[in-house]
Amino acid sequence: MTRPAISAEGVGKRFGATVALDGVDFDVALGEIHAVVGENGAGKSTLIRILGGVHRPDRGVIRLDGKECHFASPRDAIAAGIVTIPQDLRLVPALSIAENIALGDLPVRRLGPLTMVDRARMRSEAHAVLAQLDFDPDPDRPVAVLSFAERQLVAIAKALRRRSRVFILDEPTAALEKREIERLFSVLARMKRQCTAVIYISHRLDEVVAIADRCTVLRDGRVAAVAARGTFAVNDLVGAMIGRLAQGAVAFSLPAGEPLLEAQPEGVATVCVREREVVGLAGLLGSGADRMIRSLFGAGSDPTMVATRGDKRRLASPADAIAVGIGMVPGERALGLIMNQSVRDNILLPNLDVLTRIGWLDRDAGDRLVAEVMELVDIRPRRPDLKASALSGGNQQKAILAKWLARRVAVLLLDEPTQGIDVAAKAQIHALIRDVVARGGGALIHSSDLGELARLCDRVLAVRQGRIAATLERPASLDEPTLSSAIGG
Amino acid sequence: MPLISLIVLCAATALLTNRFLSPFNLTNILVQSSIMAVIAMGMTFVIVGGGFDLSVGSTAALSGCIASMVMLEAGIAAGVAAGIVVGAAVGLANGLVIAFLNVNPFITTLGTMVLVRGVVFLITGGAPVSGETGLPGEFIAFGSERFLGIHYLVWVPAVLLAVLSFVMHATPYGRRVYATGGGREAAYLAGVPVRRVIASTYVWCGALAGVAGVMLAARLQSGQPTAGEFYELTAIAAVVLGGASLQGGEGTLYKSVIGVFIMIVLGNALNLLNVDSYWQRVAVGAVIIAAAAAERLRSHRNQ
Repeated sequence: MTRPAISAEGVGKRFGATVALDGVDFDVALGEIHAVVGENGAGKSTLIRILGGVHRPDRGVIRLDGKECHFASPRDAIAAGIVTIPQDLRLVPALSIAENIALGDLPVRRLGPLTMVDRARMRSEAHAVLAQLDFDPDPDRPVAVLSFAERQLVAIAKALRRRSRVFILDEPTAALEKREIERLFSVLARMKRQCTAVIYISHRLDEVVAIADRCTVLRDGRVAAVAARGTFAVNDLVGAMIGRLAQGAVAFSLPAGEPLLEAQPEGVATVCVREREVVGLAGLLGSGADRMIRSLFGAGSDPTMVATRGDKRRLASPADAIAVGIGMVPGERALGLIMNQSVRDNILLPNLDVLTRIGWLDRDAGDRLVAEVMELVDIRPRRPDLKASALSGGNQQKAILAKWLARRVAVLLLDEPTQGIDVAAKAQIHALIRDVVARGGGALIHSSDLGELARLCDRVLAVRQGRIAATLERPASLDEPTLSSAIGG
Repeated sequence: MPLISLIVLCAATALLTNRFLSPFNLTNILVQSSIMAVIAMGMTFVIVGGGFDLSVGSTAALSGCIASMVMLEAGIAAGVAAGIVVGAAVGLANGLVIAFLNVNPFITTLGTMVLVRGVVFLITGGAPVSGETGLPGEFIAFGSERFLGIHYLVWVPAVLLAVLSFVMHATPYGRRVYATGGGREAAYLAGVPVRRVIASTYVWCGALAGVAGVMLAARLQSGQPTAGEFYELTAIAAVVLGGASLQGGEGTLYKSVIGVFIMIVLGNALNLLNVDSYWQRVAVGAVIIAAAAAERLRSHRNQ
């Protein structure tokens, strides 16, 4: 490869008592895709924030084209050609595609003393960069009407227009479906040919193996391994990330018992979750699988009829669902937890009725319950008074599960329970779900990670256009390719 | 943090003027704070629940006038009850519109603020309500006399603070108010009936504004249609000075009461120091902004 476009040498960064980075060397060349992986808290975010000018390193140097540089702000980094595309994309939904692409550097024309936005040029420039991405929307449409994958392309187009040379993509595929991931990869391949340097952060290790020229594994703020394309497989990365070898655990089916939850949404099949059974919902983005989870929890736009242990019930709100022993882990962690409140308050929230003694809360019983479930799901640190926002993504997800385990719900509904969390936390969450099931509960899981569904579920329902299109049973038809074709991917 | 500010403010004022610590002045501060403290406690419920209420000043005036009118006809107990019920009814109207029709709380309560004030003028004809012989003597005594050496008016917020703090911190209802303000959708998905919770915070706020209106009538010995103007702004400022977040989910009743003391002591200090009343407004406004900015900076650094 050529000389690095950007490099970090011996970079260290502390936040208070926490050492986020401890002497990290990292570089990426023009025309290279360099992946960075690691568990949550390994230092990935800090590294890309330093490269993107958000944080300043305590020690070490950053070199751009071999010259030492100091970014005082993200603005400096962008001016130097380094663009970060964050997970939430930072677009303005109400503005048009063309305006979003031009924002921060609007083309202008002068009319005497007035400076005006040159709308015609803004539109044609937008059109030109979008064409490079094989994406051809009407540039006057507001970004709000686009899908997430399309918005991501707009964010990339915005960076391309600035002639950025270093792209930092933070978990770009976390919310993408298979076809969209393929399109993103072809965009990345093209950018690579155009001599752009790409830094690619992801939790999806199979993607990293597929696309990265090099991969740096961070662990506890240090570089645990660097490997070139073709010299590593997913298991090597996992081993380097957690410092030991991972086992690809496949769940064993248990004999299913009585039906716990039955519902008849539109489609050919009934949704039925039995005792000791994990049922999957597979579907592309927009297939309605996520809405089905919400609706079974009484949180859809209309009340749902379900049968729990044979009794017909009308669920008009989540409170109704909770009352009959259903719990839900929503797809967005910000909806599962009240971020500015403590872990304790969050865990107790759906359990307040159980802990009430003649009108007031039994604090001691609450504390005991919280301590017990925090131990059970292994939330770290074990500090119930910590704000939920201070936990890592994996621990937040465990805290959401803890709310429902504390209540001993019969049925758990889970929407993307392991999206964007690290391998170790993912394995723990899978184990917790299997635990619930082993103790006689049932679980219904929607995930866009088909491999996860294939490993975890006893049965998977394929969802297309809000209808259940097929049922796939273990072991005959439960594998990724079959699932993928069943959902139309 | 608010407590330290209050202590520093009191110490500085005491050093600058020896009149500050006189028993007369301190009593005056307590009595002045008492009515505002009751309103600020109601406002704390609403703000912790993620809302906002501009109508409390008008509601207090309405409650004071209704209480006075009913009292003249049917006795003290009926009057006091009527005043509080009317306040709660205004709060319920606010709450239903905000929680169930999803109208912005700022707009809703701006509307009721103006509307309720109009109703006050309509029912009183713009004149104070005190009847031909004045309000009952026991009621006026409640506005000026003491029990165990402390004004009745000061006992009211003291007792309410104890009871309502229990409600907010030790009952499931209180925890649900915090949860709703901290994240409405997340609270809903945890089984909290968020619409009912939000509506209920406005009922508390209205009922407490009603209590404040009755106290005000006792103190002014009449129902004054113009009473309570700008109370909403002082109350909101006090709650924010007490560390509550206008985003919702954060705030504590006793700290809001400390915020009230800060507002009242500040006004008192500027008076004692003979600061021009026009400048007083400038100073109070600046202090509110500075305090809120300091709080933002502090919480930003903690993250």
